[in-house]
Amino acid sequence: MNNDSALKRLVSNPDFSRLLILILMFALTAVLQRNFFAMKSIVRNINSFTPLILLTMGQAVVILSGGLDLSVGTALSLMTCVLTSVMKEGAPITGFYALGVTFAVAMAIGMINGIGIGYLRIPPVIVTFATSFIWLGIALFLRPTPGGQTVEWFQAFYKIRNVEGSPPFLDALGEIVPPALILVLIGCLLWWVVSRTKTGRYIYAVGSNSQSAYETGINTDWVQMRACMINSVFIFLAALFFVGQNRSGDARMGDPLTLKAIAAAVVGGIALTGGRGSVYFALIGALIFSFVSKIIFFANIPNAYQTLFGGVIVIVAIAGSQIYTLSSRRTVEESKLT
Amino acid sequence: MTVLEATGIRKHFGGVVALSNANLTCRQGSITGLLGANGSGKSTMSKIITGVYSADAGEIRYNGTPVRYRNPNEARKNGIAMVFQNLSLVADLTVWQNIVLGAEKKKGLFLNNRAAIALSREIVDQLLPGLDVRKMVHELNPGEMQIAEIAKAISEDPKLLILDEPTAALEHAQVKSLFDTMRALVDKGVAIVFTSHRLWEVMEICDDVVIFRNGANVANVDFSKDVKDPEKIVDYITGEAGKAKIEKSRRTVGDDIVLRVNNLNYGRFLKNIDFELKRGEILGIGGLAGQGQRELMLALAGNYPGVTCDVELNGKKIKLNRPANAIRNSILLVPGDRQLEGLFLGHSVFTNIIFPRLGLRRQPLFTPEKKYRQESQKVVDVLSIVTHNLDMPVNSLSGGNQQKVVVGKWLPFHTNVLLLADPAKGVDVGAKRDLYEYIVGQVKENKMSVILYASDNEELIGYCDRLMIMYEGQIVAALEGEEINDDTIVATSMRVDIGRGK
Repeated sequence: MNNDSALKRLVSNPDFSRLLILILMFALTAVLQRNFFAMKSIVRNINSFTPLILLTMGQAVVILSGGLDLSVGTALSLMTCVLTSVMKEGAPITGFYALGVTFAVAMAIGMINGIGIGYLRIPPVIVTFATSFIWLGIALFLRPTPGGQTVEWFQAFYKIRNVEGSPPFLDALGEIVPPALILVLIGCLLWWVVSRTKTGRYIYAVGSNSQSAYETGINTDWVQMRACMINSVFIFLAALFFVGQNRSGDARMGDPLTLKAIAAAVVGGIALTGGRGSVYFALIGALIFSFVSKIIFFANIPNAYQTLFGGVIVIVAIAGSQIYTLSSRRTVEESKLT
Repeated sequence: MTVLEATGIRKHFGGVVALSNANLTCRQGSITGLLGANGSGKSTMSKIITGVYSADAGEIRYNGTPVRYRNPNEARKNGIAMVFQNLSLVADLTVWQNIVLGAEKKKGLFLNNRAAIALSREIVDQLLPGLDVRKMVHELNPGEMQIAEIAKAISEDPKLLILDEPTAALEHAQVKSLFDTMRALVDKGVAIVFTSHRLWEVMEICDDVVIFRNGANVANVDFSKDVKDPEKIVDYITGEAGKAKIEKSRRTVGDDIVLRVNNLNYGRFLKNIDFELKRGEILGIGGLAGQGQRELMLALAGNYPGVTCDVELNGKKIKLNRPANAIRNSILLVPGDRQLEGLFLGHSVFTNIIFPRLGLRRQPLFTPEKKYRQESQKVVDVLSIVTHNLDMPVNSLSGGNQQKVVVGKWLPFHTNVLLLADPAKGVDVGAKRDLYEYIVGQVKENKMSVILYASDNEELIGYCDRLMIMYEGQIVAALEGEEINDDTIVATSMRVDIGRGK
């Protein structure tokens, strides 16, 4: 195999087109946003991208396993409400209680979705559409209006320097490596570990062909449930960031993120039919999506048209990568023939 | 030593008896061939042994103890592996990931991928050197997929290996290396059950053969004692009964050619197909199942845009790139799977009969309901479709009547060529006779031309003026007149001539 064909194969890889789009969006944003490379703007960008990145990666895991989760947004809202309900201002220890309780809630959310998708074999769209209202209902019960109490140190999930009395070296570290980035890295590490275990392999197998997987002796229901629970961990991480940033819980804040996370996963090359794609590329999809909104914001497009333009850019990006993939695959196949 | 002994196995699906009294014995370190015509119960038997189906009656003894597995996984854990006819691979995983799927070994916390790749490579190299085990399964061709499937079965060190038509997708060289692997396994003491429609393969590799007909054993031939006589085995497969049951109706076929097909190609499915169809002729297409007959019918009906061919209809060149084109040229298809391809199941008889009409050019803006209803009623009367009224949903009709509706939807059309893909599949005897009588009548009166594919040789023998036998996407023989009989069909279908040539 010579270098020429290796390059050709890289170029014909559909993921390559996604990287190209990412670079394009990155460049556009860099041109439009003043001080794009200043530390401050970098941190600000990372902060605004983080919730979507985490939710997209979680969603990608569920889609890979052959499911789909329409309840991620309200699950995120619910977790922020639980966090801010358990915490009492001025009692730092309640922060740990909140972490424990909310993680348990996250696992319960994953299990309930998993039971519906896996064991009961209800179409995932139906299950998670229904559970999204349950999460919303509980969240509204806990917190009819945005608010709630948080402990001081919880801001460490957003900006370490805001925490009074934190050691100076941690403050300095937080300036270089923002906590949001650490949360994303924790998410990546989680998937890195999972993808090297049976669970990761089986998520692909079940999503690709659950009948074959079942006949091979894989407990497909349990695998789908595990995928939902991994998704819950990602949502949990996003909830920590959100509460750290806003110091409040909001029963409505997650709604618009649900469909964005699904769309971003698709932009990142996750096939909605399951089994195909990469969670890391879902992260890239989320980045592309986030840059699009930045571009629209900085391009001075009138407010009224921003949403419209956002939609058009996403369609153009996906169609472009589709056309690119098809045409490059054709050239590779033709070169095989000759 | 006997590894497996299945005795008196019975199994029926609904009213259809798949196995009536079947026996199968496998010995350690030997290869048992399982032979029989389509639908004789070979696959059912294999699936009962591995727990896909459960038997209605009979006993299976594995290593001397009676067993009854509930699923293939349970059988596999006990050392019975099966290579399925329909592949059980996961397309979005690599070859090696598929081979170790469900039996992954861990190294510390993580999966031991390196060992898995090494193991897979070792197995695959015996079967098909040069196949990269890191390729995704969806990138493989059918032959390579079959190899991967076999490798997966072998990787579990089975004591009994059931290979259900593993060679159907393989090329000659691949078959040879599979046979080498099978011999190596046998030397290690594995018992193998091997089914194939290619007679020469069975003659070459098997130590003994068991022949099924209509769900029961008709013969056991032990090659160590008995002579290897392919003609005799063909006789066992076809049997004496059922010969010339249908009274052949005499017709005169004209000389003018309606359809001339030259050099029709479609990927690996159809290769260099040439034939002519005369006016008022019933041209049969036969052969083993899955040799491209279905694809040929669909190609002629314009379902494959990728087909390359020269087609002349009544001396005029036509294109077959879309179904609408074929229909406009009055080449009409009655598809093989009526429920999937021929009907809108939940809709009424009326809707189904009238539907092709709506696709024609120059349709009135509003459907002339009354006129169409009268026409539909006529179709129902002519074909004597048994239905309460025109508005009954089609899926409430019996199989035979459903098939009549599929034929009936073309009735108001002028027909140059009628393509019948296994029209009598799952249709009871009476309805089958009605259907064929109607078609033969049309051929006689209106000089309609018909291409008939049937999986049942009896129908081909009974109704065809000429018969083409297909094998691996090619037409390998054309039979005429007295040549169209069961023995010749089976012998040419199974390529007994190839076996002799070796």
